[in-house]
Amino acid sequence: MTTLLVLPAGIAWIVAAVLAPMDGRKPVWSWIAAAGLAASFVASVLLVFETLEGGPVETVAGGWPEGVGITLRADVLGASFAAVSLAVLLAAFVHEVLVGVRSRTFPALVLFLAAGLSGLFLTRDIFNFYVFFEISMTSAYILTGYREKDPQVRAAFIFAVVNLLGSVVFLFGIAAIYHVTGSLDMEVVAERIARVKPASILPIATSFFVAFSLKLGLFPFHFWLPAVYVGSHPSVAAILSGALANIGSYGFLRFGAGLMPKELGFGALVLLVLGVASIVYGALQAISRHATNEVMAYSAIGQVGYILVALAIGGPVGYAAAVVYAIVNALNKALVFLASGIRGPLAGAAFAVGAFSIAGVPPAAGFVGKVALFQTSIDAEGTFRSAALLVLIFVGSALSFLYSFQVYQRGFLAREGGDNRRPSPRAARTLTVALAVLVLALGLWPEPLLVLGEESANLLLEPPNRGLAEGGAP
Amino acid sequence: MSPRTKGKGASSFGIGTTSVLTETVARVLLLPTVVAAVAILVKGYAQPGDGFAAGVVASLGVMLQHLALGRREAERLAVVRHAPILAGAGLVLSLLVATVPLLLGDPVLTHYPRPGGHVIYLGTLELITPVLFDVGIFLLVFGSVVGTMNAFARTISEEQEYAGPGDSGLEYEE
Repeated sequence: MTTLLVLPAGIAWIVAAVLAPMDGRKPVWSWIAAAGLAASFVASVLLVFETLEGGPVETVAGGWPEGVGITLRADVLGASFAAVSLAVLLAAFVHEVLVGVRSRTFPALVLFLAAGLSGLFLTRDIFNFYVFFEISMTSAYILTGYREKDPQVRAAFIFAVVNLLGSVVFLFGIAAIYHVTGSLDMEVVAERIARVKPASILPIATSFFVAFSLKLGLFPFHFWLPAVYVGSHPSVAAILSGALANIGSYGFLRFGAGLMPKELGFGALVLLVLGVASIVYGALQAISRHATNEVMAYSAIGQVGYILVALAIGGPVGYAAAVVYAIVNALNKALVFLASGIRGPLAGAAFAVGAFSIAGVPPAAGFVGKVALFQTSIDAEGTFRSAALLVLIFVGSALSFLYSFQVYQRGFLAREGGDNRRPSPRAARTLTVALAVLVLALGLWPEPLLVLGEESANLLLEPPNRGLAEGGAP
Repeated sequence: MSPRTKGKGASSFGIGTTSVLTETVARVLLLPTVVAAVAILVKGYAQPGDGFAAGVVASLGVMLQHLALGRREAERLAVVRHAPILAGAGLVLSLLVATVPLLLGDPVLTHYPRPGGHVIYLGTLELITPVLFDVGIFLLVFGSVVGTMNAFARTISEEQEYAGPGDSGLEYEE
């Protein structure tokens, strides 16, 4: 099924190219774009099933022999990230269409972003990854300025400047990795890195870490995030935090756990400390803020800290928890940002589901993520470390419960009766509620999530494919 | 060096007026730049070069027109006025070359004729589908770079018109 592999990025890309000259404010083009996104999403979901059953799907572009051409590959990890990101994009886009698209380029940009994201999750070539990464980032820079008022333009400027810096750091890392291993194919690179002394890989690993941390907005690299998430339009904020930030968590898993596991092990303590710092900093800042999207922006900083902690502990349980948490977090963030942008009946309920999912309250999906993290902490080496992590995750969850409740109270309870603003279109509210129901459903029936996490972890822990080592001299 | 010398043309980017010498050289250089770009495009199959680099070189030629002659002169070239269409057409062309093989049951980006097949030569250039792909990339890069330049130039010249005649709208160190 190699054609299926090309479809998620391909459909989005072609529809984007066709829609680029059209006036996206007209509903007909918006709905064509939505149909294209939906087709991409369906293809990525099929790909998830395909990879779960038959293992990774690969194809070499141009029909070249392996090692010569650029290899595209879907495995469970990539396909699930593609599916989640496309789901978030689809939800945020349809939401915006229902509320009313105000810019002619909006549909095409979202589709370009979808093409870039699904391309980078479904490639085996590091440079190809970078190209798709840039496609998605460039569309995201323009999307951040959507609605073109002062706050949005300011947010877009900050976002573009900081993330261009991140891209440069990432590009340096790629050049260095090519210098050391003589290849950009992920499997060959992984196999060769395993034979190189970690000392020469550590600086490269650090540059990748910095690049992906910037994307995710981890503690010392978070400085841009609140301004951008607060300034941008709610559905764009949902896209940025629910779809684009997945690049960061996927990058950690693919490059850290997949390509440089030894170096990840060396840096485990640093990752733990940064993760913990992120959790505490994000939660405390979120509690001290008032505006809904400001609280959620800081909460985003805290939430990615959990992914980093899971990654630092590593092993099958840790990696699985990181995958589960990343997926759940993407859905949560999309839900709260979309819900914070609408008014009227049920908006509060949808927001509450998202907020309490972030806090890890059952039966929302966030609970599954938190349970996976608890398991990971128990698995951590040393009783003291385990205990400390357990306490930390508990405190972190309590704090997130606190700010979620505060925000809900201020935003939705207090205004009861006093809010005379026009409610949002019924369809937009229904969509947000549907997303909330999905989050609840994943909490009640977490089996699919856990399977994805477990399979991804197994994949990352597999020794690199030895058969490819003869592809060329290192 | 003072930017306010005697020529007539006004640069698109508000750098005052330019000298006759600069204007003439800019006009004369346009065609060689395009030829160089095409050379880079077709040599890419055996030597360094490709559609991307060719697109960048060709758009540098247009950049020179903007700088030396101003927006109105630069936009007398039809390709400059229609840059966005070129970019879109290039993207669609490249995507088609990439995806049509899928419909024929081959991997994405497969080129025709396949290795060993009969190839038509145009001089030393082999007429294979990757040439079309590279032409698409060339158009995409050229169109988007020139389109971006036009957008900047238009913004700046609007500001200048707003500031009134004789005022560049921006201040420069003399």
